Amino acid sequence: MLERVFLLLCFLPVLAAETCKPNTPNGHKVRLSIKTALGAEAYDWNENERFLFQSTMAYAMRNLKGENFTVSNIVVCDETPRVSFWFVVTSPNDPSKVVSKGEVEEAVRKSRNRINQAFMLSDSTLEFIGILPTLAAPVEPPTPTWLIVFGVVMGMVLAGIVILLALSFVQKKRKKNKKADVEEEEDDEGTQVQTAENGATRVDYYNNSFADDERFTHM
Amino acid sequence: MGKDARDSWGSPAEFMLACVSYAVGLGNVWRFPYLCQMHGGGGFLIPYLLMLLLEGVPLFYMELAIGQKMRLGSIGAWTAISPYLSGVGLASVVTSLYLCLYYNIINAWSFWYLFNSFQSVLPWAVCPVNSNRTGPLEECERATPTQYFFYRETLDISPSIEENGGIHTGQALCLVLAWILTFLFIVRGVKSTGKVVYFTATFPYLVLFIYLVRGFTLHGAINGVKYMFTPKMEELANPVTWINAATQIFFSLGLGFGSLIAFASYNQYHNNFQRQAIAVSFINSGTSIFAAIVTFAIYGFKATVNYENCLGRTRVLLLNTFNLAEDSVSLDNILEVMDQLNTTYPQQFAELSGRLENCSLESELDTAVEGAGLAFIVYSEAITNMPLSQFWSVLYFFMLLLLGMGSMLGNITAIITPLRDFKITSGISDEVFNGGVCLFCLLLGLGFTTPSGNYWFTMFNDYGATFSLLFIVLIEVITVSYIYGIKRFEKDIEDMLGHRPNWYWKIMWVVVSPLLLIGLFVFYIITYIQGGTPTYQAWDKDVGKSVQTEYPVFGQVFIGLLLVSSVSCIPLAALYAFCRKRKHGVVQKESVSTVAA
Repeated sequence: MLERVFLLLCFLPVLAAETCKPNTPNGHKVRLSIKTALGAEAYDWNENERFLFQSTMAYAMRNLKGENFTVSNIVVCDETPRVSFWFVVTSPNDPSKVVSKGEVEEAVRKSRNRINQAFMLSDSTLEFIGILPTLAAPVEPPTPTWLIVFGVVMGMVLAGIVILLALSFVQKKRKKNKKADVEEEEDDEGTQVQTAENGATRVDYYNNSFADDERFTHM
Repeated sequence: MGKDARDSWGSPAEFMLACVSYAVGLGNVWRFPYLCQMHGGGGFLIPYLLMLLLEGVPLFYMELAIGQKMRLGSIGAWTAISPYLSGVGLASVVTSLYLCLYYNIINAWSFWYLFNSFQSVLPWAVCPVNSNRTGPLEECERATPTQYFFYRETLDISPSIEENGGIHTGQALCLVLAWILTFLFIVRGVKSTGKVVYFTATFPYLVLFIYLVRGFTLHGAINGVKYMFTPKMEELANPVTWINAATQIFFSLGLGFGSLIAFASYNQYHNNFQRQAIAVSFINSGTSIFAAIVTFAIYGFKATVNYENCLGRTRVLLLNTFNLAEDSVSLDNILEVMDQLNTTYPQQFAELSGRLENCSLESELDTAVEGAGLAFIVYSEAITNMPLSQFWSVLYFFMLLLLGMGSMLGNITAIITPLRDFKITSGISDEVFNGGVCLFCLLLGLGFTTPSGNYWFTMFNDYGATFSLLFIVLIEVITVSYIYGIKRFEKDIEDMLGHRPNWYWKIMWVVVSPLLLIGLFVFYIITYIQGGTPTYQAWDKDVGKSVQTEYPVFGQVFIGLLLVSSVSCIPLAALYAFCRKRKHGVVQKESVSTVAA
């Protein structure tokens, strides 16, 4: 009995090792860019970090299926200095059976945020090759921001126009009243005010140009 | 009575600032740096400054002299010089009208970008997410976020000029605002314009200076300035360099539109416009050079950032393919690592070469852009990479707005002043008339806010003013030198300034400038004929690039109309004057004979 258990225990990692290899059909490749994300505070990738990964994946599988996944159900292999590796998930009930790719993907998608946070990484620095992250929905404010600024500027410009027009209207009225007073005084004198200007203001061109010709006669 | 006396500037300084504000416009920022880059960097300054002396300053002086002497807008002034030439003024007004219609669209775009800068993340910095939220929108991925924002969210551009749609509300609102602001600036004629130009003429220099300091402190800016300003003297042998220098001076000073005549017509009779003409022309060219330095610094920064991003992408590709540790490859040793990998894993490396980009700082610096593309795409991209980008964005688009508005003041005055000179419009008050003109231009300009509007805008920009202006100014200078007579013109100037213009001015007016203009004119005609069917750049959203497309028949007909409508004013008006004179002459003869009999 004890021998059988011993044989099974020795056999298990071999079985698992056979199911996990690069490009295996139900496996996923994971790539971590720790130094890019954390710079000086980057941690080294070692056995403990791998253990953390296995436990978070087990958590994710439990979240999805409710079965008692453990750390030994997450098999990791082909680790590289890049910090990338392949992993497969075996079923807790039958360690020789591998959980399908679709289910693993679903589990990852569901708990993606928690997995990222466990490693202090983000969607772009902790990549599951083949599983596209769901990007955050764009935040749309009820009124587009530009419309608010537009309203402010438009209001100021319109106010400026109204003020200017009102000012010029008031000025014209004042001038009219002044003129009325001045004309009353000058009525007796009957003087004709002639405007002496240089050049024409509002004219009929064709007739005036003949007149102008005389101005420019050669000496 | 004070009512009939002509309006005038508050002071000669206002007149000069108005001319500076008008001449210094968007072309100084987005056309001159491009020409500088294309035609041998620092070496381009030689033909540029030469053309300024041969053509720019003399013609500018001439237009100011005409305006100040005649004290009328372009139509009245040219009719006073010779009744057969009223068409010159009319052609100027028509060309100015075309310009007014499409120029304020650029201000609308500046407003749009300005308003959109008040967000925590600039909308043209990142691509919006697609409907499944799996990645960015396809059109945005194929192009760049800044191009996407300009072509899709700002213009909502259609694939060709033939397809159209409804008006873009955001654009239309910004255009309405631009016209209302223009109205505010001109509502009381030169009284209001004169106050506004204190700001529109000076503030852009402040912004350019701030940008100069910012630009030079940016990473990689020196690369740009060094590269662009290194003179390539062999470009001087290329005739196109000289022609482009001449046309740039010509259009940059805004000759031929009638704006200068209009502005000068509000001057006091004895104003010293000679000094002002020289000053404004040199300020305009100086500003172009100043803006070019700033632009090249920004270019250098942008090119360096793009180059480093390219290297970064290559590094990630190498790390992922060969599973190397992250700190084994950095931007400094990436090229050596690539060589190493090539020798150790030749087969894998060969498979990779399809996806490897060729990163080159030179090719990034070589991409030369001009026009709206430079201002709204390239510059905004550079701004997104600066720290505190919202502030720089607001500052930059505010400057563009001031430059554009300053030029608009001149454009709209060029229409209003000649029309106000007619007796029939004297009954309408200033405010109502100005408002009417603005409303008219606004309604027609709304057509440019439709999906194909940008293609019509390009058409107007390329054909609406260029050819007709050359013709107008050519007729102007020939008229003044030969028909009116250089001696009469000299005496008029002596009358106004107290001294005659010296030999330099006279030689330029009589010989050099006309010859230059004829040369430019002939060159343009040859280019038009040789160029074949006119084409435009249509935005292809599937590829994420602009493709050269031929104009359809109705487009070509419209181009022809644009060219003919302004140029034909001159012969038609001359014909009209001739017929009128004959009628008058006949009537006079008849009256004489009855008296004699």
